[in-house]
Amino acid sequence: MVKNLRLKSARAAKDMSQKDLSFAVGVTRQTINAIENGDYNPTINLCISICKALGKTLDELFWEEEDNEK
Amino acid sequence: MKNKSLDEMQISVRNKIGNQTYILLLYLLLLDIGLHGFGITWLAYPANIMLLVTLCSSVYVIRLIKENAFVGPVPDKHKPVTKALLTGIVAVLTALVMLFVMNTFGTPEIPKTADIAAPILLITAAVGISISLLVSIIKHRQNKE
Repeated sequence: MVKNLRLKSARAAKDMSQKDLSFAVGVTRQTINAIENGDYNPTINLCISICKALGKTLDELFWEEEDNEK
Repeated sequence: MKNKSLDEMQISVRNKIGNQTYILLLYLLLLDIGLHGFGITWLAYPANIMLLVTLCSSVYVIRLIKENAFVGPVPDKHKPVTKALLTGIVAVLTALVMLFVMNTFGTPEIPKTADIAAPILLITAAVGISISLLVSIIKHRQNKE
């Protein structure tokens, strides 16, 4: 699975650590780390929670475009 | 274990580890039956099953902790120091109460148990201490940023 760099950059743009984001969405830091590294495929509910916490849309964070993601 | 507080990744990891441990237990029991069929008895009947179950339980717990699927996301408000202190106080109080009861009413006669009971208790205690040590080491490593 590919790394989710957009999530990482969006989190960094809001000056949040993995721990801050995990606390905001109610998961462990390791889960956020696994999502960013592409080791875990989150459910739509968790995706929505992350988007709300970071102020982004699902498309901006999780939509994979063929030219730059694959 | 706070199952309800586990997040979605932890639940999936826990389920995977549980399935694998169940299969491991099944294979070990089959191996035990096979050895028994060939006339090899490596341990007497109740103890061998208990040892296999203890082994699989230990593997399950250690893997859960290693994969961070044992305790869910909890806020930092809970201080483990307070919990440990309370546990210690309760243990000391229980010991004091037991001593008081034994001094007051005398020690009861303990029935003679099977010879295998002592090694089982020793193994169980050793496994418990090993798990505690492993848990503390793994948690220490996991919390390193």
